[in-house]
Amino acid sequence: MRYYIGAEARLRRMVEDVAMSVFEGWNYEEVITPSVDYYDLFEQGMGQREAQRSFRFTDNDGRLLTLRPDVTSSVARMAATLLSERPRPLRFCYAAPVFRQQTQSHAEWRRENTQLGCELIGTGGKPADLEVLRLAAEILSRLNLESRYCITINNVEIFNGVAAQLSLDTPAREQLRRLIDTREADELQRFLTTYGNGETRVFAQPTQLIGKRNVIEAARRAIANQRSVAALDSLDELWTEIESLGLEDSFEIDLGDVSSLDYYTGLSLKVFVHGAGASVGRGGRYDGLTGSFGRAEPAVGFVLNLDALTEVLGRKVVQD
Amino acid sequence: MITIAIAKGRMQDSALSLLARAGICLSEEAVNSRRLALMDETGQYRFIFVKPADVPVYVEHGIADSGVVGRDVLMESEADLLLPLDLGIARCRIVVAAVDPAAMTNVQGMIRVATKYSQIASAHFGSRGIPVEIIQLSGSVELAPALGLADMIVDLVETGRTLRENGLTVIDEIAESTGRLVVNRASYQLKAGEVARLVNALKSTL
Repeated sequence: MRYYIGAEARLRRMVEDVAMSVFEGWNYEEVITPSVDYYDLFEQGMGQREAQRSFRFTDNDGRLLTLRPDVTSSVARMAATLLSERPRPLRFCYAAPVFRQQTQSHAEWRRENTQLGCELIGTGGKPADLEVLRLAAEILSRLNLESRYCITINNVEIFNGVAAQLSLDTPAREQLRRLIDTREADELQRFLTTYGNGETRVFAQPTQLIGKRNVIEAARRAIANQRSVAALDSLDELWTEIESLGLEDSFEIDLGDVSSLDYYTGLSLKVFVHGAGASVGRGGRYDGLTGSFGRAEPAVGFVLNLDALTEVLGRKVVQD
Repeated sequence: MITIAIAKGRMQDSALSLLARAGICLSEEAVNSRRLALMDETGQYRFIFVKPADVPVYVEHGIADSGVVGRDVLMESEADLLLPLDLGIARCRIVVAAVDPAAMTNVQGMIRVATKYSQIASAHFGSRGIPVEIIQLSGSVELAPALGLADMIVDLVETGRTLRENGLTVIDEIAESTGRLVVNRASYQLKAGEVARLVNALKSTL
């Protein structure tokens, strides 16, 4: 529960307008999806673990409904069903509140937050990935956050390729993922002593997973499996484009970003802004998603958290 | 500047001496003052002293970039943090203890467990399918079985002396706990250089 009054509400509206006008400038069409929908949709769209954080209730006939915990699931279903005949690519954007149960330590008002997001559906590869990265960077710089933000990028197939070589069972793979995600160097060392191989030394030093091109070069020296090498190549190419756009100061590579592996299938990104204690946005490529609604095609997108951005910008105004 | 939240109490002295060995020193006068926020001698680090359970809260919200706190506290909290370093300080165990070594099978009816660590206790018994009633206390947990409040306790043990003196024996070990360096996820990216310096300085002392 959170009120915005007067100047704060104006600032929030301004942030939303900036994002939506950038989306529009890139030919993204606005879409408004239902606030209440069947729970099944989100379980298919987000995976069970994430969907379980939604608020659920029943319809008259006993079917399970939920307040939407994300917008991407609805857009993916819409692309696969309502708009299956429309020529590709599809470009959609939205500014919409989503609702999720939070863990105890979070302020309760974060149950509701507004996502500023976009989805680019029906086209894959580097141009599409680069397009959404440039969109995110443009919004942040139009909000005068230039040199105050950092977008981290990764390709989850680097981890998936290495993990596949180890033939781990599901709990062990999840443990490896968690240890890398939380950068637990010592436990990770112990884990890798038992299960690791030559390639896993890439992940063994958590402080060395973040950086610029040097991170890719270091990873290349350790990794040989085809799946990871292909992912490294595409990350490498993306980084070259980022450099040629002069954006390399605002971007970082983070090979340790493995927080949502069951969702993303290639590029993953997170957005950080000075003054915010947690990431203010995330996204990536999710080529597996539209397939679960009957029409498999590549898709990529991201969301920014409007409430978190408003808070950072509000405090910045006070400081300035 | 990096802000480090230190858990007051058990952990505080060993954490500060470890940091001092890593070249991050607080002046004698500062330590002895009663201020809860202090700068180190170089002005690169700010220290705040808070209750152990509050360390994950300050760090998760980014008020502190980093913190030193026991694994027991982290297991009990649901905070989403990075845990780059096991500092190996304040080593202790989280155990199940009871008066009767065979309490697990001898108790009639629902087992009552007194603890400060209700999350850890319910996760431990829950994963074994043992139904228990958790009784949340905030201190002197060893007293509970003697006075009949509970059949067993889940608590931290350093030497085992308090347990012995209250007639309790360890019947199961849940986990080992040591002091950890925790880091906020956003600080890890946005202050990558400074955080890496802190991690490496501490690592070199271990």
